[in-house]
Amino acid sequence: MASAETPAVPEAEAEAVVESTPPPPTEVEPPPETKTAGDSPSIDYLGLGEVVLRFLLFASAVVAVVVIVTSEQTKNSRPAKFNYSPALIYFVAAVSVLGLYSIITTLFSFYALILKPGFFPQVLSHFIIVDVLLLGIVSAATGSAGAIAYTGLKGNSHLGWGKVCAVYGKFCRYVGASVAVSLFASVVLAFLVLLSVYSLSKKIPK
Amino acid sequence: MMGCDAVLRFFALALSLTAAVVLGIDKETKTVPVVLVPDLPPMNVPLTSKWHYLSAFVFFVVANAIACGYAAISLILTLIMNGKKGITMMIIFFDLVMVALLFSGVGAAAAIGIMGYKGNSHVQWNKVCNVFEKFCAQAAAAVGISAGAAAAFLLLVLLAIFNLHNRH
Repeated sequence: MASAETPAVPEAEAEAVVESTPPPPTEVEPPPETKTAGDSPSIDYLGLGEVVLRFLLFASAVVAVVVIVTSEQTKNSRPAKFNYSPALIYFVAAVSVLGLYSIITTLFSFYALILKPGFFPQVLSHFIIVDVLLLGIVSAATGSAGAIAYTGLKGNSHLGWGKVCAVYGKFCRYVGASVAVSLFASVVLAFLVLLSVYSLSKKIPK
Repeated sequence: MMGCDAVLRFFALALSLTAAVVLGIDKETKTVPVVLVPDLPPMNVPLTSKWHYLSAFVFFVVANAIACGYAAISLILTLIMNGKKGITMMIIFFDLVMVALLFSGVGAAAAIGIMGYKGNSHVQWNKVCNVFEKFCAQAAAAVGISAGAAAAFLLLVLLAIFNLHNRH
């Protein structure tokens, strides 16, 4: 770097003085850290948490789909299935997409955890965008199915809609359980996005 | 990117407020000829349809009101604080919560709206929207506006992620 002559000269002299004297031997090296056998260097808690959460998401999505698909009930030769209601069809479709997406991303993040360091860095940070989109879609599905289930449970006297759940008990219980599990799945998805945002913010140099 | 953030928050505020108000003043009275006794001619019975007769619409209005209030508070906060990390993380967290809340409100109101529009023969729920046309149209408009507010919150979260991604 070009600078004025006079300040540069004493700086060069100071540098020469520092360089010529050997480093003082008074510094004692800290004793090497005793490593126990099999001690892996610093477990990546964030990556591990991400894999666990994604697997939990996959499990709850699968449970929600299975429970609602097996919820058929027939009473007085009139069946009640999930595909009689467009809201429940959308619910099954959205949660199935969630299940498929979550198993793919579980495998990706599991490989990224094992095959260190940063095997799929770009891909993992792009998953967060799809995570937020899916959060919106799955929340809408949970809201739709929940609204239909609640209306079936309580009926609506103003509109002349009868209480369906008084007749179809098993169907309503299964649909209710499926909606509760998908609510849990959307909470897990929100935590996942927060975890990704937190790990992104930790990588920023302060 | 702070200008973009503030503009999006303002849109979210305006859209969620509009959606809550549009559904909150939704009321329609129609005189419907109803045959009570087969011998007598049909009597004209005034039927009223209000938004709070449907619990899904109540949830929708409450969710939009909460989102509107939060958008106002966070708009003020982001204009005052400039990039303090703790507040930014809190705002991202609550933005995410609002995304989920608004989308579930949209889903619930849309599901009940479609049920009222088409009915469901399997469970003997009759369609209502052929009688109350204005009520249903206004509800559909409110759902559409709230979907815009939910998309605005979604864009806010994506913008925050994009900013974090670019900073390292």
